Amino acid sequence: MAERSNAPASTEEALIIERIFDAPRELVWKAWSEPERMMRWQGPKGFTAPVCKIDFRVGGKYLFAMRSPDFNEGKSIWSTGVYREIVPFERIVCTDSFADEDGNVVPASHYGMTRDFPLEMITTVTFEEIDGKTKMTLHHQGLPLGEMKDGANVGWNESFDKLAEYLATA
Amino acid sequence: MLTATSSDPISSTFAALADPTRRAILSRLSLGEASVTEIAEPFEMSLPAVSKHLKVLERAGLIARGREAQWRPCRLQAGPLKDADEWLERYRRHWEESFDRLDDYLQELQQKERKYGQEKSLRKEDENGRKK
Repeated sequence: MAERSNAPASTEEALIIERIFDAPRELVWKAWSEPERMMRWQGPKGFTAPVCKIDFRVGGKYLFAMRSPDFNEGKSIWSTGVYREIVPFERIVCTDSFADEDGNVVPASHYGMTRDFPLEMITTVTFEEIDGKTKMTLHHQGLPLGEMKDGANVGWNESFDKLAEYLATA
Repeated sequence: MLTATSSDPISSTFAALADPTRRAILSRLSLGEASVTEIAEPFEMSLPAVSKHLKVLERAGLIARGREAQWRPCRLQAGPLKDADEWLERYRRHWEESFDRLDDYLQELQQKERKYGQEKSLRKEDENGRKK
């Protein structure tokens, strides 16, 4: 387990977030796999989740709505995805796309976002038990590879450290 | 793939950044404009190879090349970098704030469980007490 989570970051990884929750792993897992629990926390501050449907099996889909009075004129933003891998209490891999309320994938422009987002991203969550607490790692990846494939095995973090440095001086 | 990246600015920014040589070139250019020869200097690489990298950066809008001078100096353009950073920041914020809420929720759940567990054991004591 520990080895897997320590695998070198590949160039596909855009975003990696690690958190330690003071809760047993089973409980954190349930928060990701049961819709009524997922609705309690998914979405940034100020957002509510009026709808959450989860067909929690490999090949199954989820459909999730979130809403904030300050965003998209208070109308829901829907997202959907397909579960690609489920290893109980260890690992969830699913796709992540914007959607309409019927669950059809739509481009980000559907929600008036000015910048192009990839149509499909991949979210990987791993769960690890450490002294009764749970270390959860999120990888948000799946940017079109293109020329990245011949790129060296350097993590995104490094790119963005440099980027941040540069932006600070720009 | 090229058509895909050119239609999607963020992706072409990320693709251009996904190479250590190109990142090094950008770092160099953040110090000021430079010619291809100057840029190539620290690398064990032919000029055409460096030119190839420069073309990728140029296509992604990360650098601009002067037309005025013979040596066509390259300079950094920060716009796409800022866009890429904002894009990432948006996702980061989404997850960080969600996880703050998850943290609260997990605490709440466990408190309830503890309370319920306590009540249960109190009831048991009660029952045991009555039996005696």
